[in-house]
Amino acid sequence: MSELRKRGISTAVVCSTPFMTLGRTQARTFGVPDLPLIEIPHPFGCLNNDEVRQRAEGILPQLMQLIKERIQ
Amino acid sequence: MTSLNDLLNVPGASVDLDDDFDTVNEYFLERGWGDGLPLIPPTEARIEAMLAWCDRPWEIPIGRMAPRYGEATPLRLAVNAVMAGCQPRYFPLIMLAIEALCEKTFNRYSIQVTTHPCAPLLVFNGPIARELGINSGGNALGPGVKANATIGRAIRLALLNIGGGIPGLGDMATVGSPAKYSYCIAENEAKNPWEPLHVERGFPIDATTVTVIGAECPHNVNDGESQTGEGIMKTIAGTMATTGPNDVYYPRQQPLLILGPEHANTIARTGYSKADAKRFLQQHAWLPLGKFSNENIERLFKVTFKERYANAGPDAPAYAVQNAEDIMIIVAGGIGKHSVYLPTFGGSTCPVTLPLKRRDGQLASTIEEFHLG
Repeated sequence: MSELRKRGISTAVVCSTPFMTLGRTQARTFGVPDLPLIEIPHPFGCLNNDEVRQRAEGILPQLMQLIKERIQ
Repeated sequence: MTSLNDLLNVPGASVDLDDDFDTVNEYFLERGWGDGLPLIPPTEARIEAMLAWCDRPWEIPIGRMAPRYGEATPLRLAVNAVMAGCQPRYFPLIMLAIEALCEKTFNRYSIQVTTHPCAPLLVFNGPIARELGINSGGNALGPGVKANATIGRAIRLALLNIGGGIPGLGDMATVGSPAKYSYCIAENEAKNPWEPLHVERGFPIDATTVTVIGAECPHNVNDGESQTGEGIMKTIAGTMATTGPNDVYYPRQQPLLILGPEHANTIARTGYSKADAKRFLQQHAWLPLGKFSNENIERLFKVTFKERYANAGPDAPAYAVQNAEDIMIIVAGGIGKHSVYLPTFGGSTCPVTLPLKRRDGQLASTIEEFHLG
């Protein structure tokens, strides 16, 4: 993901809340400290398909905002 | 070669503290440097003694340790080896193990950060493992022997302090594992009725090797009644075939079976080669698909093994290991009718074996020869 980001492609990593710190430190490690992280509530294992869709819909505004920022 | 004094004088490379055990430990543990146990203060003199057994430039990384991708230089490794309580002559094996952990196929990143409780197990073979007294006999995975306790701990301290595998930050294990304090064993080659692990993996019998395996804690197999190889292996196969390990969900996995010498002897005496034993175990280590939850069947088995389970009923076999040759077997331990089985992180890690070589590229047969070579 960091390589895509370095090439100027819109990228984001989806992290559940307990993994946000790891996500941020990994982004710094790989030289992309501004790599956007999209936060979703934990846990996301053991969800049924409808619940997965709901989680995905919940982060759509964050995703759209990122794409808009990139276009501007 | 740059002097130790020059390396330690680089800004940030060292800290000035009173040479007092409690002061040093308080300072280190407050900053999260370590495994929670008391640390031997890494003074310049102790580091220098460790580095006397290093055949490489002290500041050139052997590899980068995930998830921080910190540079594992001999200097940093020596500091961690001192803190772990290692004898300096263990140091060549510590550097070798770190090199193996950094091999791409081992999957250093995922092994460190996963919620799964795997830890790199070090399996040593060969003459230098015996010379250094790495325990391969009774209690080989237990306490009481300095080499096992401190070599394994040095690796863990490096994973924490250099790799950044810090609980909750770079190590996300749900429950974790006591194997993350130290996980180090040698094979009991004298009691092995077959070829030892390093020979099976393509190295000469007189090579000293380390094999790193991303393994769970050992699960015991008690069988004091069976008098044949088939009987013992039937018991072992039952231990292998359970619903929880990562391995069962992957098309490829390389778990480790540590046979106690008495079990190994009975299996060999019945006429089984090591390859025969692996075939028997692969064929018998299965459980009915119906033992798994419907969600696991639908979302894992029918995805990973699409063709096999597309129309499978609850009696279809789910194998602990898919390929017989992927079962790794060593012999270790002392008296008693016990063996242990170690499932792994699963299909995304491969064990790595490396030999200890001298500077001239030849195999080292004694630790002194490595030192001088």
